[in-house]
Amino acid sequence: MPWYLYLALKQLFPTGRRFPFFTFISIVGVSLGVALLVVVTSVMGGFGHEVRRMIVDTEGEIQIKSGSYINDYAGLLEKVESVPGVVAATPYAAGALMIEYHGKPAYPGMRGLDLATVENVVKLSSYVTLGSLDDLDDDSVLLSSQLAQSIGASVGCKIEVYSPLMIERFKRDEVFMPREVRVAGIVYIGHQQLDSSTVYCTLRLAQDLYGLGSAVHGINVRVKEGMNEDAVAARLNAVLTPGVRALSWMDSFSDFLWVLQLEKNMIFFLLLFIVIVAGFSVASSLLISVVRKTREIGLIGALGGKPRQVAACFCFQGLIIGVLGTLLGLGLGFVALTFRNDFVLLVTKITQRDEVLQRFYQFSQLPSYTAASDIILIVVSSVFISMLAGLLPAWRAAKLKPVEALRSE
Amino acid sequence: MSEPVLTARALRKTYLSGDRRIEVLGGVDLSVAAGESVSIRGESGSGKSTLLNLLSALDVPDGGEVIWDGKPSIGTAVRATYLGMVFQSFYLIPELDALQNVLMARRMVGRIGSAEKARAKELLAKVGLTERSHHLPSQLSGGERQRVAVARALMNSPRLILADEPTGNLDEKTGDAVIELLLGLCAEMQTALILVTHSAVHAAKTNRKTLLHEGKLHDVV
Repeated sequence: MPWYLYLALKQLFPTGRRFPFFTFISIVGVSLGVALLVVVTSVMGGFGHEVRRMIVDTEGEIQIKSGSYINDYAGLLEKVESVPGVVAATPYAAGALMIEYHGKPAYPGMRGLDLATVENVVKLSSYVTLGSLDDLDDDSVLLSSQLAQSIGASVGCKIEVYSPLMIERFKRDEVFMPREVRVAGIVYIGHQQLDSSTVYCTLRLAQDLYGLGSAVHGINVRVKEGMNEDAVAARLNAVLTPGVRALSWMDSFSDFLWVLQLEKNMIFFLLLFIVIVAGFSVASSLLISVVRKTREIGLIGALGGKPRQVAACFCFQGLIIGVLGTLLGLGLGFVALTFRNDFVLLVTKITQRDEVLQRFYQFSQLPSYTAASDIILIVVSSVFISMLAGLLPAWRAAKLKPVEALRSE
Repeated sequence: MSEPVLTARALRKTYLSGDRRIEVLGGVDLSVAAGESVSIRGESGSGKSTLLNLLSALDVPDGGEVIWDGKPSIGTAVRATYLGMVFQSFYLIPELDALQNVLMARRMVGRIGSAEKARAKELLAKVGLTERSHHLPSQLSGGERQRVAVARALMNSPRLILADEPTGNLDEKTGDAVIELLLGLCAEMQTALILVTHSAVHAAKTNRKTLLHEGKLHDVV
């Protein structure tokens, strides 16, 4: 081991002494910044990941849409399923409805599903918590959990459904009656927006309610696992007729994803300042160390140490603090992530605000997704900042002339 | 007398003090042979430490030259093995124990193996600190610290040791013991010694006695 690295280690961890206070404080400072960065970027990544899960699980990786309706969807389905990388496709109709149960109205979104193909793309049956997807027919619907709760409906109840088409008829002074349908099941996805206001029905019922005839609004596509969604979407666009476009889930929600990424980047940037402040603390402590050890630096020069080696000694101290602080911070961060939901539960129990949390943050649990690229960025940033912190003291130490340093009082 | 390990010719050094130019050394000549011990005495401020700094190449003269082992210059790495230094204030590294402090001199110029460790232990034994080899400088007395510094100075088997008032911070009895030790080990290892001291008693124990006065070095008979 080169002497300057050996001396750097010994100055941080002296022989026969307890963990020195300066080393402890410096490492803890860096580790707290790193731990916060890990927790926050993972939780922000979790939000993004949950959004992806929600979109992909309920709509597939690719959506095919046209400006209005898709009339010959059967032919299109065949064409889509023949494209390499596509596992399955299912048509859908979507829109808004008004529903009423015992005088309680609600205005949810509607999702009309082709029961013959939907399970190949969207595993809806796994989200049905009460009743069954098998019970769904043209005279029944599935209600999202919070929607059912808000109007007081349960499995077996009959609710009244109004569609925008009925309102059009009403404008023409035609008499219309709401459609009475049975609640065949309750769906719980785990995303507040979907769970609070979605009605799932058969494609035929949706086509009836919207007067679509045999047309659909779009096609959801499931992509082979591991395939790049954008690449498959590009292949689909090559075979689709003009006016019909395939968009990957990332393109469909690009604005939302951009906002999520921007938030994540901003928070990363702001929290990085904690590591920068810790770096200043390291620099300040090392500078004090240089002043205190002026005569020792002089001795090292007298013993044959070159200025660049003296500088390396102090740079290494910054680096060692950075590496240890980062490792400890990663450990702390992952422990905090492991217990994040227990902590959130505790806070919401104390403040009695668990419903508020769910309403505002969409998810019933605090999500977490740690991307390897985020960890690499955190590690590189924190180690680099700590090493920079050692540069100023190192430069000052290297400037000392042995003769003057040995003479100093 | 064998070949000189160090020769200084007409060394000059001046310092600026405000507008005044003070000549500290005004043409010093000195030659030290292998195994020889030379003492330099002089009043405070007479330039003894300045002379040692020039002889150790830690400072550059304004005039004259220093020849080390027949060469007019000495690199940093060569200096570390050619010269050993002992200071008044010991200058041990507080984070290292006695053995590690001795080994540090070797670590600065090369790798540490079992042979180097054995030599450091042997030197500590010679200065009577075997039992204290794992003690930190803060756990040692002044005399013990200076003995560690002597062992460190001898670690790289230097040709010459420069000792700058090594007993200045020690009581008389301890100082005498350190000087005896230093002279004894230098004689045993055929290492030349330049000893800067205020003590006439310590100077008397060296082979050659000199006095630095008004910038010139005079032999004392």
